[in-house]
Amino acid sequence: MSWRRLRTLLQREVRATLRDPFTVTMLIAVPLGTLLAFGFVLSTEVKHLPLAVLDADGSPASRRLVADLTAKGIFDARLFPTRAAIDRALVAGDVSAALIIPPDFDRRRRAVANGEPAPEVQVIYDGAEAVLAGNAEGFLRSLIAANGVTLTEDVHGGGRVAVVTRALFNPRLDGVPYMVAGTFGFVLSFLTTLITAVSIVNERIAGTFEQLQVTPATSVEIFLGKILPLGVVFALDVGLMMLVAGFVLGVWPQGSVPFFLLVSSFYVLVSLALGLLFSATSATAAEAVQKTVLFSIPLVQLSGFAFPIRNMPAIVRWITEVFPATHYIRISRAIYIRAAGPVSLLPDLFFLVVFAGILLWLALRSIEARA
Amino acid sequence: MSAPIIQTRELTRRFGDFTAVDRLTIAVEPGSIFAFLGANGSGKSTTIRMLIGLLRPTAGEIQVDGIDVIRHPRRVRDRIGYMGQKVSLYQGLSLRENVEFYAGLYGLAGDALERRWHELRERFALGDVEREKVEDLPAGIRQRAGLALSTLHRPRVLFLDEPTAGVDVRSRALFWERIQEEAENGVTVFVTTHFLEEVDFCDWVSFIDAGRLIANSPPEELRRQHSAGYRIAIEAPAGVREAVVRRLGEAGIVTAPRDGRLEARVPALDARVLDALGRLAREHADATVHVEQPAMTDVFRDVLAANGAAS
Repeated sequence: MSWRRLRTLLQREVRATLRDPFTVTMLIAVPLGTLLAFGFVLSTEVKHLPLAVLDADGSPASRRLVADLTAKGIFDARLFPTRAAIDRALVAGDVSAALIIPPDFDRRRRAVANGEPAPEVQVIYDGAEAVLAGNAEGFLRSLIAANGVTLTEDVHGGGRVAVVTRALFNPRLDGVPYMVAGTFGFVLSFLTTLITAVSIVNERIAGTFEQLQVTPATSVEIFLGKILPLGVVFALDVGLMMLVAGFVLGVWPQGSVPFFLLVSSFYVLVSLALGLLFSATSATAAEAVQKTVLFSIPLVQLSGFAFPIRNMPAIVRWITEVFPATHYIRISRAIYIRAAGPVSLLPDLFFLVVFAGILLWLALRSIEARA
Repeated sequence: MSAPIIQTRELTRRFGDFTAVDRLTIAVEPGSIFAFLGANGSGKSTTIRMLIGLLRPTAGEIQVDGIDVIRHPRRVRDRIGYMGQKVSLYQGLSLRENVEFYAGLYGLAGDALERRWHELRERFALGDVEREKVEDLPAGIRQRAGLALSTLHRPRVLFLDEPTAGVDVRSRALFWERIQEEAENGVTVFVTTHFLEEVDFCDWVSFIDAGRLIANSPPEELRRQHSAGYRIAIEAPAGVREAVVRRLGEAGIVTAPRDGRLEARVPALDARVLDALGRLAREHADATVHVEQPAMTDVFRDVLAANGAAS
């Protein structure tokens, strides 16, 4: 081995790498961003879980219970007037758990000293996210138990509080449905983008795209000609994935299958448009693939696919909302696990439509751009 | 003289501080072959991309077949054919499938397509290869197929951007025969090339350097202006030399003895010269006439020098 030759090869490689701004950015931003995301942003801890509270008692003791539950920042309590409103919030995914305090909570708590049974509070939680649900239940139980002790010490004649828990949706706290429903989002985001990312740039390199632009074909026709065939293929892929998830993993959608297929097909178009945008704005196929890979890192970290968004700092939670995948994965899980319908998913559907509009417009513009 | 089918006025394209095309004004006669020459990076492809509506000019005007291409780039597309530097055939498809694809984009189908493709297949000698995958075709055939496809919809103007780049000499000659046929059929051909000898296939030559037009005339006119002219060498027996000198002298061609032959220089092979040489050949069958055309390379070297060009 010649050290001189090796040095020459090394010099060229370093020069070539450092002179490419995109590569340099990737080399610096990706490791730092990933480190910060995994270390700071991503956590499976239970923090600021939205907790629906129906305080039918309205006594100082029941208010104290609610205050104690929210004191440590694990739960953010939201008061609801009725049980029906709580059920709607759980289906829509607005809250992760609910606490129902009965009307005679304080009276029965005081009666414990007379040998009567402890008052029961009901805890209902969304079992879709199995790990989180398990953690939430544990925290609620311990906090309520601690509250019972505190009340006993503070108030003469006070007593224990019994907790009755029930998991809404996925009562066995099985983690598979959660991951299966999320995987639709990951696959449809990553694969569709990757496949389309190379399409235009390859045609541009081959010269066929320029030829196409000179024909009477309009930009809209070229655009639809690109995404519709792939859209159909990926829509079939969704159906195939559903069948395999059902027959092999035993996970079937609890909600409407046509609605899920419709939303998924629509989301495929959003992802395809993003891929086309990457493709149309890249000089080489390699650059388009790099962009897709770069995009897939936050897709995994920040879309809620692997890590709960609610545990992230507020500013990051806002950032997650700009990923179409975040909304699709939320919808996918809601349909798959909570049997949610269009009405309860309106906010996420609205965001998907907005993203679709923006991305389809940008992709179309990038195709027709006359610099 | 008919109205130009392609016309630009003060056409300019800048990329940041760099001016790729600088106030280009040209006019192309219908049915002519217009050569647009220049070195690599001189602005040829930028110009052609503006002419076909793929690139918006920074300033200036473009009319193609009476259509303002800047304002209505789409309207011109039915009327033009284009063949880029890369032959734009889809790999993975056979030539026939490519034909059907492009025909579909121009609304050509059924019997009309069959008739048109049959005609082109014969003219471009593509019958044996139409079922072949494009990537399996030799470069020369791919080039011919590309030209055939760009004329499939019978365009009025054909834009060819360095169509013979990377093609062997024989294929280039065949290619130019087809281009000339198109022109004979009334199609205007706007062709960029950096093979200077191909200029002689063309009716008009524009030459740009660093985005500026530095020559704009028929090839013969360029030779007349920028070369020492055609060299005519006559080998004749000593007994007839005097008669040869006299005969050519009557036509204004001044000869001088050189290396045992008679030599003359004429600025162009115009009718007067050709007529004189014809009579000479008839009257003195034992005389041999050699005519040497000024090389276009030398002509353009002179053009560049005369314009203080950047290349």
